[in-house]
Order: sequence, then structure tokens, then C-alpha cells
Amino acid sequence: MSSSSILELRGISKTFASTTALSPLDLDIERGSFVSIVGPSGCGKSTLFNILSGLIQPDNGSISLEDQNVIGATGHVGYMLQKDLLVPWRTVLGNITLGARLKGKVGPEDKEQAMGFAQKYGLGEFLHHYPSALSGGMRQRVALMRTLATNHQLLLLDEPFGALDAQTRFEMQQWLLQVWRDTQRTVLFITHDVDEAVFLSDRVLVMSPRPGRVVDDLRVDLPRPRTLDTLVSPAFTDLKSRVLHQLHRERGA
Amino acid sequence: MTKKKLLLNIFGPILSVVVLLGLWQAIVVWGNVAPYIAPKPWDAIRAVTSNWSTLAPLTWWTIKETIYGYLVGAFLGAFLGVVLNKIPLMQRVLYPLLILTQAIPIIALAPPLVMILGFGVMPKVVIVAWIVFFPVTVSVLDGLNHVDKDLMTLAKVFGANSMRRFVVLEMPAAITQLFSGLKIGATYAVTGAIIGELAASSGSSLALYQRSASGSLDAAGVYGTTLLMTAIGIIWFLLVVGAEYLATPWQRRSTARQWRRGAKPVLTNN
Amino acid sequence: MKRNFLSISVAGAVMALSSITVLSASTLASASTLTAVKFVYDFPGPDMEIIPVVVAEKEGFFKANGLNVSVEFPPSTSSTTQLLTTGSGDIGFITTSDMAVAVEAKAPVISVANYSMTNNWGLFAKPGSTLTLAGLKGKKIFSWGDTWTNAMIPFVLKKAHLKASDITIVTGSNDTPLLMKGTIDFTTSTTNYAIPGITEATKSAPVGIVGAAAGVPNVPVWVYAVTHNYANQHGKNVRGFLKAIKAATIWASQHKAKAVADFMAAYPKSGYSKFYSTKGWALTVPLLTNAAGKYFVQTNKQWTTLATALKSVNLIKSVPAPSTYYTNKFLP
Ligand SMILES: Nc1ncnc2c1ncn2[C@@H]1O[C@H](COP(=O)(O)OP(=O)(O)OP(=O)(O)O)[C@@H](O)[C@H]1O
Ligand SMILES: [Mg+2]
Repeated sequence: MSSSSILELRGISKTFASTTALSPLDLDIERGSFVSIVGPSGCGKSTLFNILSGLIQPDNGSISLEDQNVIGATGHVGYMLQKDLLVPWRTVLGNITLGARLKGKVGPEDKEQAMGFAQKYGLGEFLHHYPSALSGGMRQRVALMRTLATNHQLLLLDEPFGALDAQTRFEMQQWLLQVWRDTQRTVLFITHDVDEAVFLSDRVLVMSPRPGRVVDDLRVDLPRPRTLDTLVSPAFTDLKSRVLHQLHRERGA
Repeated sequence: MTKKKLLLNIFGPILSVVVLLGLWQAIVVWGNVAPYIAPKPWDAIRAVTSNWSTLAPLTWWTIKETIYGYLVGAFLGAFLGVVLNKIPLMQRVLYPLLILTQAIPIIALAPPLVMILGFGVMPKVVIVAWIVFFPVTVSVLDGLNHVDKDLMTLAKVFGANSMRRFVVLEMPAAITQLFSGLKIGATYAVTGAIIGELAASSGSSLALYQRSASGSLDAAGVYGTTLLMTAIGIIWFLLVVGAEYLATPWQRRSTARQWRRGAKPVLTNN
Repeated sequence: MKRNFLSISVAGAVMALSSITVLSASTLASASTLTAVKFVYDFPGPDMEIIPVVVAEKEGFFKANGLNVSVEFPPSTSSTTQLLTTGSGDIGFITTSDMAVAVEAKAPVISVANYSMTNNWGLFAKPGSTLTLAGLKGKKIFSWGDTWTNAMIPFVLKKAHLKASDITIVTGSNDTPLLMKGTIDFTTSTTNYAIPGITEATKSAPVGIVGAAAGVPNVPVWVYAVTHNYANQHGKNVRGFLKAIKAATIWASQHKAKAVADFMAAYPKSGYSKFYSTKGWALTVPLLTNAAGKYFVQTNKQWTTLATALKSVNLIKSVPAPSTYYTNKFLP
């Protein structure tokens, strides 16, 4: 599409045994944008992420990330799941630098960066805490810091706040937007929560039931920074109802 | 740990030992048990202290057999656990064999070992290792088999090779399990050494000392050596527990220990 | 001096269970009219020295004396006297050193009859090897670690003019394979156990230094014992038991093959071959009578000699009156 695309997918499809998880899919993602993906359960959202991260190979198609063909290779995206997957024997600092450790040694600059992130995003006091001493929201923050600390431009977040209560979730959403703005990363964000998708994103992709394909691609032009007021604005409600209708139609079809 | 908890941790076990000794004393005194059948606890303890010059070198031997065997068993056990986990074929081939080793009564194993290894420290070390390795293997295998699959997947996405995944994630993840195997092994280790001593000894040994005490109807000597053997077992167990305490701080602390000088103490909110 | 309990303790435990059924099955019909007596052997498993008891049961001598005898095996050697004092057994088979130690420990037991009359204990070596007291220095000598062996070894050393540190005593669970392999130089045992064992393994008789030649006191090795209580309250049973045993012993001495067959039938899994038991029993028979051809008879002299000897090697502290150890009043 445009030269500002960081990620280009062409004709990506995947079939597991007899289940077609993804039907041929084309997608362009703009550098620095925040894109949410919503769709019914089992439509292939996580499968798409697994293909992007290199965990599984697509049957067909091509992926170009920052002009590199990355099919089947790992180590080029940040990835985060609903489960925080913090390791209990490493402190907050140790968990944030886990990516560096997994690729070799944790150098002083890795530590500095991790401490910088932690300080900046409200974890400064907890650097030497073990995860067992943290609340669910704080654990998700550490998990996101860890994802950021891998220093990949593209972040894949698969329902990262799915397990949090509504109150914490809203705090986390605002916090995530702050982090995203500061670090200028590109975020692909899977969620089941339409409010969340619209509230966070520049773009919302709606997927059809299996075999998954993108049936709607909405621009969200709500002004940033987004606040509580955004949630009750008519523009927000319009967008939300469009996504919901689209989802519902697809489900009913 | 609060002060109250600390006191409880120290005095709880002492209290239970005192109660046990009291019960023992009561049974012997009120039951009118003859001294050649069972001694009073204090007599058993005195039988050790008053013969300490004889018992000390024997005790030291038993301790050495226990520790050597334990270390061999623990390392072998951990190694086998890793091999079984990493090479699925081995799990099929080796696991039944490992179970077989434990089905052999140790008492039947001792005589052939003596034939092969002689009367020295070796057969005892082998017997102790034989007993200790199994719970360690099983626990390590269990620990490795239960490492979070998603975590391993995440590590792959981060671009970690299998060696790094093992060292950074799987090994520490299995450590809690490892210690449960090590603790079970620690309680059995002394038994193994004593069985080995009974099967064969050159010169004397704790087990033989106990056997001649038994032959002389010296019940105080018999119970005293039993207490001594038990003490070795308990002390070894406590050392393993101590090692666990140091090796797995996250299990009971909210913050990491700060070893570096000048590091600011970290405030905890719980 | 017998096979170590470790090697056969498992078998022994099984044996102990099965033997009770074997022996009591034949007497089940008339059990109610017979007096029950619990006999406790000196060892965790049966061997040919138990033949008088087996024969007394199988050939009806116990029954003829109004007794229903069950056989128990102790969990370890040297624990038979304890089982008697706790009431787990009535009549025990023990070594004379066990008896001396029991009296020293103030256990209320008393010996009621000799089993054997002479000391047939000594050192043994592979056929064809040289075994002299002078050549003991620096050698590895096998011991079962039991009280009797502990008591005897100092006498051997004394006679050989050696210190304890001049030899290496090793303990194990079976001496013959170690002897064959050369892991040990000599073993310690009694003639009736050592000769069949080594002969069976090597097809020829071992060399040995036995009894006076080995410097050990000439005293009986095994006796039958009861508690004072049992002697006082059930003297009739003791007398009946010894009467049956005497008749059985005479019978078994005259019908050696049949006696061994009875033993093998009662304990098919004893771990001892027919060869071993036959040879062992043949070697045991001459030990059972004194110079006058009498069974059982104990003397003041034997007990004084034993006690003095044991005191000299510090196994007991004092030498009591011989009557403390024994009584002949139940002899048939
Ligand atoms: N490794 C696999 N083997 C076989 N089938 C798979 C595999 N992974 C996913 N599937 C199937 O592919 C389809 C899509 O799965 P996927 O996990 O991508 O769905 P999803 O959109 O993430 O669903 P959810 O919203 O519930 O997380 C499902 O039917 C799933 O059962
Ligand atoms: Mg999913």
C-alpha cells in the first residue's frame, strides 16, 4: 500500500488438518499505528499472531516486516498473551530483561533500559520484587515492559487485559496508550471487547467466523489523548455500534 | 518472618521431640519394661555420650558414606531426569528400568555389591546413591514436564535457542520439584548407608556396633545408636532444607536479597 | 557363625510364616487336647540344627508328650532371649554366649539343656591353602558379627600372640563366595556349617583350625533355654519338650536320611541343599552327646569356663555362680 507500511501480508492462509483457520488474507499495517482485531472466538486471530511471530508457518502467502521476509523465523516481534507468563524466580527487573537473557547475557544497558521503563511506568518501587508480590495489573505491566524491552518495532498483544477486572482494565488501557505514544511502536491488539478496541485504536479490523478473513476495516478518528469522555462521546458510540453490527451480522450469517 | 513465627519454628520441633521422649520415658517406666528390652531415653543418650570416643569415628564414617552417596545419587538423579525429559525415547526405554531398580529390595542388592566392590566405602556409596537418585529423577522429570508450555513458546518467539530455554527457564522452573526429591532422598540416605554397613564392613561400623550391642542385650546401646543414626538423617535433611531456603528465595520472600553494597533497601507493602 | 541374617532374612520371614502352618496342620485334629509351646530358634531362618525339633513334630514325639509345638524365627540373631522374656516364645535355642550375656543383663533366663557338648568353632580356609595361627598376621578374616564370634576371636589372637590390629576383621552376609573369590583369607564358623558349605562350593573339604587348636575354651556352643517364670510355672512342658527332643534326636541320629528328608519337607525353601543338610546333620550328631554318651547334661565346669573366658575378653564383667546359668532338673 503506502511506503509507511511496516507490515505487509499477502494471501496468508492456514489450514489445520480439516479446519481452515485463515482464508487468504491481505493486510497492511502502518508504522506507529495501533490496530485492533476483533472477531468471534476461533476465527483465527491467535493463529494470525502465531504466523506473524514465526511459531507456525502459513500454507501460502508472504509476510514482509520492515521489508524483510520473516516467514518461519522467530525473534523479530514483541509478543504478549493474556497470561502474564512472568517467571516466579526472577524479580521485576529480571523479568523485564528476560528477553535479553534468553538471547545471551543481560548487559548494563539492558538493565538501564529496564529500570528506565519501570521507573517511568510506575514500577520503580517494585524493581526487586518477585512477581508473587505483585497485583494482576502490575504483573501485566511487567509483562508489557518485558515485551517492550525486546526492542522490536512490532508488538503483538493477544487479549493482554482479558483477565483483569473492569476498573484495572481501564487504567491499563490508558497506561498502554501512554506507553505506545512514548515509545512509538506499532501495536497489533487482539480483543473481544469492542469498547476496548475502539477506545485504543487507530483502526479496528473485524474478522468473520472461521475460516477467518477481514470483513470490515474501520478508521477510528477520535481525538487523542482519549479519556473517560471519549467513552461517552457520540462518535465513539457510532463506531462501536458499527463494529457490533458487523460482528453480529457475521455471526448470524 | 515475624518474631512470633520464628519462635514457633524453633520451639515447635523441640517441643514435639520433648513430648516424644516423655512418652517413651512414660512407657518404659509405667510399663515396667526391662532395661534389656528397652532403655529409658536418657540412658540411651548416655550410652552414646559415654562411648563417644568409640562411636565418633564410626559416626564420621557413616556420615561420609551418606554424603558421598547422596551427592552421587543427587547428581545422577538430576542428570537422568533431564535425559528422560529431553529424549522422549529414553522415557520409554529407561523409565521401566529405573522403576525396576527400585523394586529390587536393597537388602538383596547389598551382598552382590560387596562381592564386586569390597568392604570399603564404595558399596555403601552405591547403595545410598541407588536409593537417592530415584526420587530426584522423578521430581526433576515432573518439574520439567510441568514447565508452562506458553512460557516456552514465548521464549521461542523471543528467539531463544533450546539451550538457553533450558538454562534460563526450565532448570529454575524445575528447582522447586527438585528439592522435594532431594528432601525425600535425604531422609532415606542414612538408611542406605546403614544397610550397606550391615551387609559388609571392614573393621567396625555404626551398624555393627549396634549389632553387637544387640547381641549383648545392651538395649541402651541399641537405642542410642538408633538415635545417633536418626540424628545424622535429620541433620542432613535440615541442611537440604537450608539449601532449598537459600536457592528458592522467591518462595517465601517478596523481594530479592540485595547483596550488592550500597543497594537501597526496598520497601515492601506487605 | 551361621549364614548372616541379611542374606536370608527375607526368606526367613517367609519361612517363619509357612512353618507355623506346616507344623500345626498335622496336629490340628488333636490340638485342643495338647499343650501349646512356642519354640524360638536362634536364627532368622531354619537350618539342619533344627532337625530334632522338626523330627519331634513330624514323627509324633511332641504329640506323644502332650505338646503342640510351633516354631518361631527371631528377627535377628541374638534376640531369642529377648523374645523369651517378653513372652513371645516359651523355649529358646541360643548360644551359650547369648546365655551369659543375658544373665549379665539380668534377663531372667536359664539354660535347661545342652544342645551340643563341645566347641567345634574355629577358622576355615579354601581347600589346599595353608592355615596356621602363625600365618594370621595381616590377613583378612571374616566374621558374622554375632556375639559368639566376637567372644571367640580374642582367644584366637591370644593363642597366635597377635593384637587386634594385626588382622582385619570383615563382616558380610555370606562367607563362601568371598572365600572363593579371595576377597577374604579365612572365615570363622563351626565345623557342621563350614565343612558342608565349603565342600559344596569346591567339591573338597576346607582346611581348618578348630577348638583347642584355635585357642578357644572347650565349652558347648548351643543350649535350650527358658525364662525363670516358664521354668517355675510350666516345668512339665519343659520336661515333656526335652523328653520328646531326646527321643527325636536319637531317632534322627539313627535315621539320618529320613531326618534330613523331614527337614527338607518342613522347610523346602530353607536355602540349603540336601547335600548341605545331610553333611551338616552328619557332622552335628557326634556333637550332641558327651564322653559318656549322654545328651543334654550340663556341668558347673562348662559354665564357669565359659564365664571366665568371656570375662577375660571383657564381654561380661563378673563371673556368677554356675547355677545362675543352668539347671539340669528338667532332663528326662
Ligand atoms: N495447532 C493447532 N492445531 C489444530 N488446530 C488449531 C491449532 N491452533 C488453532 N487451531 C484451530 O484453528 C482455529 C482458530 O484458532 P485460533 O486460536 O486462532 O482462534 P482465536 O480467534 O484466537 O480464538 P479465541 O478468540 O477463542 O482466542 C480454531 O478452530 C482452533 O481450534
Ligand atoms: Mg486466541
